[in-house]
Amino acid sequence: MNATTLHPFEDSQPTVLLIDDSVDVHRLLKARLRYEDLKLAGASNGKEGLEQARTASPAIVLLDLDMPDMDGFEVLRRLKDDPATLDIPVIVLSGLQSAQDKVTAFDLGAVDYITKPFNLTELRVRVRSALRLHRLVQMLAQRAQIDGLTGLWNRAHFNKRWTDEVSACTRHHRPLSLALIDLDHFKTINDTYGHPAGDAVLQGLSRVLQRECRQEDVGCRYGGEEFTLIMPDTTPTDAAGVCERILAALASISWPRHPERAVTASIGLAGPDVTADLSADQWLDEADRALYAAKQSGRNRVVTRLIGQVTPMAKAG
Amino acid sequence: MPRGENQPKAGPITSEYASDPDMSELVDLFVTELPARLAAIRSAHDAGNGGAFARLVHQLKSAGSGYGFPGIAERAAAVEDGLRSGGLASVQRQVSELLELCARASTGR
Ligand SMILES: [Mg+2]
Repeated sequence: MNATTLHPFEDSQPTVLLIDDSVDVHRLLKARLRYEDLKLAGASNGKEGLEQARTASPAIVLLDLDMPDMDGFEVLRRLKDDPATLDIPVIVLSGLQSAQDKVTAFDLGAVDYITKPFNLTELRVRVRSALRLHRLVQMLAQRAQIDGLTGLWNRAHFNKRWTDEVSACTRHHRPLSLALIDLDHFKTINDTYGHPAGDAVLQGLSRVLQRECRQEDVGCRYGGEEFTLIMPDTTPTDAAGVCERILAALASISWPRHPERAVTASIGLAGPDVTADLSADQWLDEADRALYAAKQSGRNRVVTRLIGQVTPMAKAG
Repeated sequence: MPRGENQPKAGPITSEYASDPDMSELVDLFVTELPARLAAIRSAHDAGNGGAFARLVHQLKSAGSGYGFPGIAERAAAVEDGLRSGGLASVQRQVSELLELCARASTGR
């Protein structure tokens, strides 16, 4: 599942997009970067380049300043105006005599420049360093959204991701389910066996989430002993099946620090019966109500709230 | 020996990158395609198509450096300079020099 596939460098081969009107430059760059660990994408004019920048999610853009129709400055301006391409580092390619062009390009947001014709060493060094920087920025951004103890996504990531998933589900009329998972009597585990034991339980539940969920599911540590699981393209009925498996797997774990004490959890599940027009927050509230109902009705169970109608389907775990 | 305008006046010139394994194939391609480029430059010049002429010369300038023929880049730059100061009609000599040098370009093999 996404939550635990912690591969900050998922695109191990980053894409470098070259926007240049000259066939020669495309050929030369391809030859010069042949042995670099990257994919080269190309566009021969500004319009095509802007399009590719949006669709190919390049790690960096190499941008020719001197192009007919839409010149590099205009392309750069538009890249920086579009939230989808704003963060892509742009290295401008400029002729030898154009110091002012470089200054203007930096003003517009370029990170570096390469002087044409390419000096092989300079080109590689500059591309490599831009790629390294891009990776670090990506890694830091991702680190900031990962829970240190469990390796799951954290609440910050959940908040953003959940909003995105709800709007995607509304837009495409696809099913979507949300589970709130809360460990039962967690405080007494901490109090009785100590915090390392409590941490082990949190990590144990995380491992269960990894095992029982599919690639597209998003597991997050919401805070304390509370977890969330976003299940895209999943009806509440199917999601309830996943949740039952999670509870069963958790209950069957033998804990080295306290083999005599099993650990259970309660799950509140919310999903639309038919397409429901519900905000991400309201939806989360529904799941929270279902969780409360699961706790009230004896814990170690899944309670589902079908959004649009209230149909608690309490089931003993 | 009678010499046409476009015949080599001196020995062949080869690319600085001729022995670079990454580049030799591209250099060959450049040399092979060069006559077509020159023909296009000449016909743009003769047709008085200043826009196309300037663009082709500009491309040849960067291609010349890119493929390891700095002399070609220099002469193309001289044509560009002439264009800027005196217009299309004033660059006859620079164009001839560019074409003459290009005619000497060789893959070296
Ligand atoms: Mg250009």
